[in-house]
Amino acid sequence: MTLSAADFAFVSALVRREAAIVLAPGKEYLVEARLIPVARQVGAASVAEFLANMQRRPNSEDQRRIIDALTTNETSWFRDREPFSALTDVVLPELVRSRGTNRKLRLWSAASSSGQEAYSLAITLQENLPTGWSYEIMGSDISTEMVKRAEAAEYSQVEVNRGLPATQLVQYFERAGAHWRITPALRRNVSFKLMNLTAPLPALPPFDVIFLRNVLIYFDVATKKSVLRNVARLLRPDGWLFLGAAETTIGIDDNYERVAAGRTSAYRVRSAVPAGTARKG
Amino acid sequence: MSEPVVTERDLAEMAEQVWVSYLDPEGVNPLVPHGDVKQLSEVHSTVSITGSWHGHLVYASSQNAARRAAAAFLAMEPDEVAQEDISDVLGELANIVGGNVKAMLPAGCFLSLPTVVLAPDTASYYPAAERISGLYGIWDGEPVSISMWQSVKQEASA
Amino acid sequence: MVIDDSRAMRMILKRIVAKLNFEAVEAGDGQEALDLLATMTEVPELALIDWNMPNMNGLEFVTKVRAEPRLREMTLVMVTTESEQSQIVRALAAGAHEYVIKPFTEGAMIEKLALLGLVPTGANS
Repeated sequence: MTLSAADFAFVSALVRREAAIVLAPGKEYLVEARLIPVARQVGAASVAEFLANMQRRPNSEDQRRIIDALTTNETSWFRDREPFSALTDVVLPELVRSRGTNRKLRLWSAASSSGQEAYSLAITLQENLPTGWSYEIMGSDISTEMVKRAEAAEYSQVEVNRGLPATQLVQYFERAGAHWRITPALRRNVSFKLMNLTAPLPALPPFDVIFLRNVLIYFDVATKKSVLRNVARLLRPDGWLFLGAAETTIGIDDNYERVAAGRTSAYRVRSAVPAGTARKG
Repeated sequence: MSEPVVTERDLAEMAEQVWVSYLDPEGVNPLVPHGDVKQLSEVHSTVSITGSWHGHLVYASSQNAARRAAAAFLAMEPDEVAQEDISDVLGELANIVGGNVKAMLPAGCFLSLPTVVLAPDTASYYPAAERISGLYGIWDGEPVSISMWQSVKQEASA
Repeated sequence: MVIDDSRAMRMILKRIVAKLNFEAVEAGDGQEALDLLATMTEVPELALIDWNMPNMNGLEFVTKVRAEPRLREMTLVMVTTESEQSQIVRALAAGAHEYVIKPFTEGAMIEKLALLGLVPTGANS
């Protein structure tokens, strides 16, 4: 059984709009195969029924399920590369100038999934902070299972192939049976918390840098607004927010301003950006 | 009996990685384990491990599964696949899993180049070894297995 | 240049580098690759190198290439099932620039080549 043209068009439009994923015509079988387990999970008799229910009653939970099913779950190290280059070339030099008194940085990898982003941040700081500086990285995720996985810090062969330079693999990982595990020296600076970004967030010391990438794609506009508002409260006034390449605050939350950061963009809370350094996006 | 150096779970994870990399990159057609060690095979390939550990890693399947694996690997249609393609792909599959298995064994092991036999895998091929773990399953309706054999002599002296 | 004793693996690798607009020549082992390089007027930009091969293995090939001034500009990437930490360290010490463990997905291979600056911008999307 294959997907009807209308159902395929619905799913294509959804994932293109929300996650910038382009499904070429002819991928009906792929959408079908990926959505069969989802339909089963929600108790629908078929993929067609699941999609019909969703089109009648759009909801962000089913939207999230569809996007999840159609995005590859493999996460790369230093995913997209540019935000990490921006961190090294622009953000860290500035923070090193402005945080000279306490010499400590706090970073947050929001929706940290299996932890690759949080540990990629740790490697970046390990290699780029001057001696005498320290850092703390917090990862957070809505899934208990993901928090456990990230804490375990163990990755398969296929996972460590993705975007991780071999020199860093041998330096920051050790073999653990069929897997590779992050070394204790790096793990010491990284912790993970269970957290729902759409609910009021716990009181935490503010962060210098927040990576909130490929998270907003899962939410409708109202939820996007509340997540961005929640996150702003945990960002230091002169801190930096990084979003995914398909995401922006523009048209959603005017408190943020898009600024150039290396070859990519970051977001800063508007009032705090010194005149002349910001470029409107 | 203590847990083998490489368990069925380890083999299953390696198989999953091979499938996602070459045989089923879109994640629509995985190898589904069923645990029936008696399932038929028509072709198999072996890499031998020597050094601080002695034994073999065996990849076995039906002729149809081997043809489909070769087609997926080489981006060809199954009916375009030649016998030579099948041998080559079977060898590479054993080599890939064997290399990953070797990394789990004590340091100082060596991997042989693969041997491909277009005939069923039976214990008679490994007279001085016993099976310590195996993954048996169905891929696209066809039987596929990956098994680990340890040389008996070494086990006695270990 | 793609160096692997498995023709199937050479085909996979050729297919991937073709997407990045590389034209690839093939060799079935290290010695064959060296012989081929000796006949070529233009040195390939990149070599993808298996470790375990008959005649001359990939590690020996890397060592020999590194000792040859004419081949200095070649980027050397090991593509192998050898996955012990000590083996990766050995290959990097011998002069390999990157190391990809088999099995690898197409995306992973392209990401590794991107790390080496071999992927034109926009080709990796």
